[in-house]
Amino acid sequence: MAETSVTVKQEMPDEAETGSSSGSYVEKRILEICHQDAKGVSDSALQIHLPNVDVQEKVKAINSLLSKGQIDLVQGSNNQLLYKIKDTQKQVDLRGSDNQERLVYQIIKEAGNKGIWIRDIRRGCGLAPPPLNKILKKLENRKVIKAIKSVGDSKKKVYMLFELEPDRSVTGGAWYSDQDFDAEFVNVLNQTCFKFLQEKMEAASKLDVDPLLKLNRSYASPEEVWKYIQELGLLSNGVNLGVDDIETILNTLIYDGKVEMTVSVNKSEQKGRTKMFRAIQPLTEPAGIMRIPCGVCPVFDNCYEGGAVSPSTCIYMKEWMDY
Amino acid sequence: MSAAAIRLACHLIQEHFGEIVEKVCRFLLENGSSQLRVVVKRTNIQLSQVKKALCVLISHGIVAFESTKVGVVEYTANINHCLLLARYPRFIYSAKTLYGDAGELIVEELLRGGQMLMSMVVERVTERLRRAVEGSQKVEPSLARGKFIQLVEARFVQRVPDMPDPTKEEPSPSSDIPKDEAVLYKLPSFVHDIGTPRGKRKREDKDDEQGQKAKRSRTDSSGETEYYIDEDIFWQVNLDRFHQYLRDQEIVNAVSRSCDKLGSEIVRTMLRMSELTTDKLANATAPMSFHEILRALPGNLNLDRNSLEQYLKVLTEDQTRIVSKVAEAGGGMYIVGILFVDLKEGSVAVCLSCIQSVVQERFGSKSHRIFKLLVLKKYLEQRQIESFALIPAKEAKDLLYQMFAEGYISVQELSKAPDHAPSRTYYPFFINLRQVAQKQQDRCFKSLANLIARRKYEMNENKRLLEKAQRVEVIANSFRSSGADESHIAEIEEMITPSEQELLKLNKARMAKLETSELQLDEMMFTLENFLIYQQSSISADSKKAKGTTSNR
Repeated sequence: MAETSVTVKQEMPDEAETGSSSGSYVEKRILEICHQDAKGVSDSALQIHLPNVDVQEKVKAINSLLSKGQIDLVQGSNNQLLYKIKDTQKQVDLRGSDNQERLVYQIIKEAGNKGIWIRDIRRGCGLAPPPLNKILKKLENRKVIKAIKSVGDSKKKVYMLFELEPDRSVTGGAWYSDQDFDAEFVNVLNQTCFKFLQEKMEAASKLDVDPLLKLNRSYASPEEVWKYIQELGLLSNGVNLGVDDIETILNTLIYDGKVEMTVSVNKSEQKGRTKMFRAIQPLTEPAGIMRIPCGVCPVFDNCYEGGAVSPSTCIYMKEWMDY
Repeated sequence: MSAAAIRLACHLIQEHFGEIVEKVCRFLLENGSSQLRVVVKRTNIQLSQVKKALCVLISHGIVAFESTKVGVVEYTANINHCLLLARYPRFIYSAKTLYGDAGELIVEELLRGGQMLMSMVVERVTERLRRAVEGSQKVEPSLARGKFIQLVEARFVQRVPDMPDPTKEEPSPSSDIPKDEAVLYKLPSFVHDIGTPRGKRKREDKDDEQGQKAKRSRTDSSGETEYYIDEDIFWQVNLDRFHQYLRDQEIVNAVSRSCDKLGSEIVRTMLRMSELTTDKLANATAPMSFHEILRALPGNLNLDRNSLEQYLKVLTEDQTRIVSKVAEAGGGMYIVGILFVDLKEGSVAVCLSCIQSVVQERFGSKSHRIFKLLVLKKYLEQRQIESFALIPAKEAKDLLYQMFAEGYISVQELSKAPDHAPSRTYYPFFINLRQVAQKQQDRCFKSLANLIARRKYEMNENKRLLEKAQRVEVIANSFRSSGADESHIAEIEEMITPSEQELLKLNKARMAKLETSELQLDEMMFTLENFLIYQQSSISADSKKAKGTTSNR
């Protein structure tokens, strides 16, 4: 491990700098020391490891490494400055970039796959908007970072490293395609899941078994529903749905009042407990008020006997009576 | 008491009792308790007529009277009793399904008359039954009497409580005090002497009744005499009992939808077992054991011990939680579960389902999803609603605020800081079910009044035609009975032109539709009312509890 990184390091100084051999040697040593302790090496520790190196030389080497972005200067726990090795893999992309670019890169990198808003970058680096925009564009062109539109706010762009997979909170998960909520997709899945559960219930109610078994037969686990959805081939457009996505859909069915959920203890599976879903019917028939025009009447509150809108002259009522 | 409720009450009173009674009742409803003189003066109706109207209203339990401290008698109308007039058809129908035609007629007569003597009811019912069966068969008065006794034993019919003694100053004549309850259903002993079929319910207190009530039976009516002396006992329909029956019916229907037919039969049996022992406002039926249920199940269900056990398990595990288990008493080899039907839970579930269907129809299924989500999760912010319901932000906002504007959803302001600055405040949405139910109830009142108004209007529009049709029919009938020529009858029937025929048919269809809707609307009103009563009772129980704890300190 140490050796491989050493080889990389060997190449880099050769390319970047054709300085004195002693300087490159010290640099190499420092890198090696830093490699051994990933948490960072303090100045005094470095001194112990490099007993016969001149302080001037050491400072020069460290400065050179810092400017090349191979090590980092961080503040340790006891207010001590620590030299820390940087991930060299990604340094490759930053060849030839200046300090400002590196700073911006660093900020973006720290944001991880959640991304970071441009205003937060500006606050972090203290750059004025025009140069920052320039830097961001440059980095974007070099495919070091990418801009993603957040689902929460369509105008808000967030930046993150190019190779990262955006977080769910940014993309909105499986229900979003191109930052838009795919309501159609959700609807189709909602209906399909319900159809599956309903068929299951009907099949169970036709069985000639005792009531308890009948009830248990009508339940389905999210995995079963998930398999059914997979087999149907609804997800042709490369969408990858997990079982928890299906569970979210099943939850919406609960809120629709079409399905009920129970938790069952399942010994055969390792998880111990699984949620089970089952189709149900509403407890009552449609309410009486909804079967007459008054239930949905838009001018209900203006309706008085003898008024402009009155039950005697109501046209909705007339149409409904003759229907 | 809302304006809509008063309007509906007046419509109903007018339909049942006519213009004058309606005017008197409207005055009492709008002005509260009033003296007779005030009513006469302000309504401009003759004293004798007002007296008669008040008499009618009192005998139907709509108006109560009491004498104030000054010694003046004041009359008060009870709007809830007025609104019950809309439910009379359902009472009559329930009596029909439970006790057949005779039962139906008894209840109908009693509802129409308010308070009646038993002999009077029996006489009239027998008469009507005879007429209905075309006179060929002789209908025995004992049939009607038997049914009457059954109705009393099932507590569908009760005695009119004795008028309060004016010297004692009791609150109102209709308030039945628990200790007198058994007295209300005591039959005069002589009815049993005639060999009438005995009902299966409430057998136990017949024996002691014989001795106590001996003096009431002044004559021993022997055999099948038509007349007995019962002048001092008036009977009325026990509306609370009917309400209890209808509510049970509602719960049974709900179970049959959530479980299946057999499950609902079990719940029906459980409810019937406890219907006489449970207080009408109790949250749940009295607990009953597995064996009791098994024994009480009707034989035609073919349920054995095993499947009953399974059914009860299914019912207790049901999401509605209507049936619950309170205890498990180990008896021999098997476990005996003590079960009860949770009436409160049942009515809440039914009411919720009813309101949800309103939301579903009025705002669409997406809004329904949001509504149910809020019911299940209680308090949620807009963003949470979006993510739970999987509805795009823009649409969710739209639907949410639409429901908020119409009062189906409420907002609770929760501020982090004492200054209630909007930036530091959460605005979670929640559902105040009681408020929504009340609002719906008011809408129902108005809608029902609208339907009745429309029906009256339609009747008025075609009044002449309807009267003509009726006249023609009467004439044709009289010709037919006198054995006139067929051609004569046809000639008379042709007096109604085809276009008029068409109109009559249309009118009939419209009336039928309006009347069905009125019944359906009343069903919903009943559901909401039940729910609100339970809410009220639980609130008062809570406040009582709170008071108790404070006083203990």
